Amino acid sequence: MGGKITCTLGEVKNRADVIVYWGGNPAECHPRHFTKYTLTQKGKFVPEGRKGRTMVLVDIRETPSAKAADIVLQIRPGADFEMATSLRALIKGHRVDREAAEQTGLTLEQLQEFAGRLKGARFGVIFFGMGLSMTRGKHMNSGAILTLAAELNAFTKFVCMPMRGHGNVTGADVVLRWTTGYPFGVNLSRGFPRFNPGEFSTVDLLVRGDTDAALVLGADPGATMPEPAIEHLARIPTIVLDPKVTHTSHLARVHITTAATGISAPGTVYRMDEIPLPLRPALASPYPTDEEVIRRIRQAVTAQPAWVPAPQRA
Amino acid sequence: MNTLRITGGTVYDPANGIDGIVRDVCIADGQIVADVEAGRTINASGLIVFPGGVDVHTHVAGGALNFARGLVPELHRAARTFQHGAMPPAGGRAGAAGSLRRAGLGGVTPTTFATGYLYAGMGWTTVNEAAVPILTAKHTHEELHDTPIVDKSCLLLMANNEIVLDLLEAGEVERAQQVVGWLMWAAKVYGIKAVNPGGVAAWKWGRNARALHEPVEGYRRLTPAQIIAGLAGIVDQLDLPHPLHLHCNNLGIPGNVATTVETMQVLEGRRAHLAHLQFHAYDGEGWDSMRSGAVAVAEAFKAHPQLTADAGAVLFGDAVTITADGPWQHLLYQLTGRKWGNLDVENETGCGIVPYVYKDRSVVNAVQWAVGLELLLLVDDPWRIFLTTDHPNGGCFWRYPEIVQLLMDVEARRAQIRKLPPAAQQRIMLGDLDREYTLSEIAIITSAGPARALGLPQKGHLGVGADADVTIYPAKPDRDGCLFSYPRYVIKGGAIVVEEGDVVAVSDGREFVVRPVYDDGIEDYIRPLFEQVYTMSFENYPVEIGRLRRPALMTLAAKRR
Amino acid sequence: MITLTLVEQPAVPLEAEVVRPDVVAGLSAEAIRALPVFLGRRQRRLDDFFRVEGDGGDEIEVRGDAGRVKWIGRGMTRGRIVVRGNAGMHLGAHMAGGAIEVLGDASDWVGAEMSGGLIRVQGSVGGQAGAAYRGSASGMRDGTILIGGSAGLEVGMRMKRGTIVVAGRVRDFAGLQMKGGTLVLGGGAELRTGAWMLRGTIISLHPIPLLPTFAYACRYVPTFVRLYARHLQALGFGLPADEADGAYRRYTGDSSVPGRGEILVWSPRGD
Repeated sequence: MGGKITCTLGEVKNRADVIVYWGGNPAECHPRHFTKYTLTQKGKFVPEGRKGRTMVLVDIRETPSAKAADIVLQIRPGADFEMATSLRALIKGHRVDREAAEQTGLTLEQLQEFAGRLKGARFGVIFFGMGLSMTRGKHMNSGAILTLAAELNAFTKFVCMPMRGHGNVTGADVVLRWTTGYPFGVNLSRGFPRFNPGEFSTVDLLVRGDTDAALVLGADPGATMPEPAIEHLARIPTIVLDPKVTHTSHLARVHITTAATGISAPGTVYRMDEIPLPLRPALASPYPTDEEVIRRIRQAVTAQPAWVPAPQRA
Repeated sequence: MNTLRITGGTVYDPANGIDGIVRDVCIADGQIVADVEAGRTINASGLIVFPGGVDVHTHVAGGALNFARGLVPELHRAARTFQHGAMPPAGGRAGAAGSLRRAGLGGVTPTTFATGYLYAGMGWTTVNEAAVPILTAKHTHEELHDTPIVDKSCLLLMANNEIVLDLLEAGEVERAQQVVGWLMWAAKVYGIKAVNPGGVAAWKWGRNARALHEPVEGYRRLTPAQIIAGLAGIVDQLDLPHPLHLHCNNLGIPGNVATTVETMQVLEGRRAHLAHLQFHAYDGEGWDSMRSGAVAVAEAFKAHPQLTADAGAVLFGDAVTITADGPWQHLLYQLTGRKWGNLDVENETGCGIVPYVYKDRSVVNAVQWAVGLELLLLVDDPWRIFLTTDHPNGGCFWRYPEIVQLLMDVEARRAQIRKLPPAAQQRIMLGDLDREYTLSEIAIITSAGPARALGLPQKGHLGVGADADVTIYPAKPDRDGCLFSYPRYVIKGGAIVVEEGDVVAVSDGREFVVRPVYDDGIEDYIRPLFEQVYTMSFENYPVEIGRLRRPALMTLAAKRR
Repeated sequence: MITLTLVEQPAVPLEAEVVRPDVVAGLSAEAIRALPVFLGRRQRRLDDFFRVEGDGGDEIEVRGDAGRVKWIGRGMTRGRIVVRGNAGMHLGAHMAGGAIEVLGDASDWVGAEMSGGLIRVQGSVGGQAGAAYRGSASGMRDGTILIGGSAGLEVGMRMKRGTIVVAGRVRDFAGLQMKGGTLVLGGGAELRTGAWMLRGTIISLHPIPLLPTFAYACRYVPTFVRLYARHLQALGFGLPADEADGAYRRYTGDSSVPGRGEILVWSPRGD
């Protein structure tokens, strides 16, 4: 089944000589990635810095990140799974059908050369972004990269890492895992944690109308989700906690302005490689923190009769 | 008030020479006292009274364990569930007025709240998290913060910290000591852990460190033996309450008896604690000839009286192997085709994770199962070897009672041996061992011994001044035949937290932290090296003391030379 | 027989794993009415949503649009359930024996991780029929799932044994990581059929796009297909097996694993 083979970013800085960005545009979305972690830094074992590294960009179009790339592999939209699966075969020296492989938009020779480059790395890394994880195939595209990286360890040292979105999504993932065992889409309605993406993940619940109330914190589904989800949010009682008035706020029943975490509210953020970093607020805010608001809501609700149903003997 | 009298129970307090005597145990303000006047009384006649359990080596919090949680949703689905809900105040008595019990999952990688409930539910009250990287120590402390009831300590990974290794290679032991001291205080930990010395550093290039006296990958002279001796010396010089806690090289490899015995020799009379010794006691030349090496390891261990160990016993069933022994995990993945996780931590360490199932029809697993028990039975002195499964590597901690039963009942052991494949039966010697542990010995290997090895004088006993952590067991086995599975009562810090197998009150445990002696000026040495190798701001590296819930600080004095 | 007629549409999905013969057999109607069902975080009674008639036996009939009623037939080992209408998610999940028939549509996770028994859905289903739940090593271990309409993503994902037949079209990843068993696609498939398969047989009656890691082997009518066709005939599904009409193009893969699975694509005579 493969697995997840990864490291903290300092390992990349100190050792990586082959760096692949797949389905992401770090120049615009993670603007300090190249300079802080991957390309221009002089690493402990890559003292020559940029000269000691090869950057390969795999994407459906040329973005500003291409300027920083040594090699650009322009792949047809929706072909990431086919490309990664072909690479899994090629690194093992197994057959790949030329005609089918070239539907990725790359020639078989390009794929073979890329496979060779990955195997020949001293320390290789694939950073994969939402261009891969959010397009047709979704979690299987991510799974394909994860499995490819795991299998490359038979030949050399190889890791991979997802390029996470904004808003401390990594932190939410980490905290949910230690408290519930699952990273997202956690259902507590039977009194204990359950997980089933597609059934309990937010967008699916909203599109199907499976919830009768919503509290939105630190996100703006009214701007990003499909129409049926937005319509449902507008139909049910929706509460928004956010430093700004968002698209979701406009269709909510209640909007509570809260202090911006990291600027006015303290906390801990988990970086994309799961390193915890403290946030020290720099400015005061007249607004309460998210934590304060949630505590007060909870206090008020628990004061209601029959709030907590009697524990269910399963 | 806060007084409690436990009366009429048969008390086992081996640290104070009490071996099954019917006597009262009195508690006031969270401590054992000589006598009390008013307050609640528990009638413990016909019941067994033990000091609360102390787990000297477990993995329950932090980045590695949390990574493992994410790998096994299928095991979570099969796990015991903990329902969110308010607990009624314990029978109208004064005390916890309706604490909240948090939702969670048990199983092989319990969630944090469930971890506290499961340990307490079993009668264990102190837990030592065995592996913490400095870089993610904040994460570990946050998880321990969310682990209720039990008291905690944790150990800092050091044997593959390249700043320290560079100093050891250069022979700068004194400076290395200062750095280790600074790092300990930065991470807010209790002791020092060494895992596969040199091997994890080598894994960063895809290699390992199999030979104790050969230079580590990337170093000219430095060998694993020198790392071990160097760190053991530093720990002694820092005068830490717990000795160097060592996971030897070549974990899991057939024939690793030689490495283990050699390691004991390298330690040259210095104190050390050998972790999960079972995984390091295999004879044989390969998987086909792998057999028990417990006799040789036990012999060598007995000849080195300054060492302690924990068993790291295997139980048949689900487990998750989580270890900073990255190369071993890659091997396990290649051998078994199971899921594999790996996370290398810059400059410091790494971890590898493979969810695994120990099967009694597997010859290798059968030998592993036997070796843990053999070591516990061969080493006569229970003050030196302690009960663990290296949770969750060998088996789940909440199955410790099964091991207690196997140690106390030779017939139960032999019945299990008869079920093993014949090929396995020929590779073990467990069947030859008649010994049955007494209750007093069980109290030592589960409580008094680990408390002493950890250097926690207020734990592991029921003498006046001890923390009031007391477990009361039924005298006869309940339900599934394990004597220790369902304590009647568990008292933590003087409060009744478990009654008739149910958590009835939730408290916050303390975290033991050691502040070692070091020269503040060493920070000027560390900072530029840090900035070269790490990817964050130096100011953000240390853990703020406020992040710990109820820290219990031990400030050390400089050791007299 | 017990008849459960849905009289109250649940506002949010209803979890009703009690609706299975193992639970209701031998219970009086009164006892059945009081069985617990779960509406979000509230525990309710079965008769808050269903009119209950008859006494407990081995047969249950569900009437109405139960498309939001989840877990019908969960883990059942015997008896029969007929749904005259739609059924919600997890229909017959973990089933070990007995039979379920749905006259309307079902949702995701039909027969997930089942180990025996028969599920027949006349209409369409969602994704993950006969599949493994996230993280599990295997999907269905045995049993039969027959789908008259179309199906969604990941049909038969990690199935180990057993049979799935879909008369209509399936979406991406049918037979993903298959370990054994037989998956018959009667109405075509979208992308990535048989991705990463290890073993097992996928039979497609229409040409389908294949991954680069599948290789054409030969064209023939395998003997087992002839036998299999008779078996499926008895279940009401026609599988071409006569050399007079054509043959199967056999593809082996997935070479990325590497796997020894096969995809048989029907190729009519004259193709």
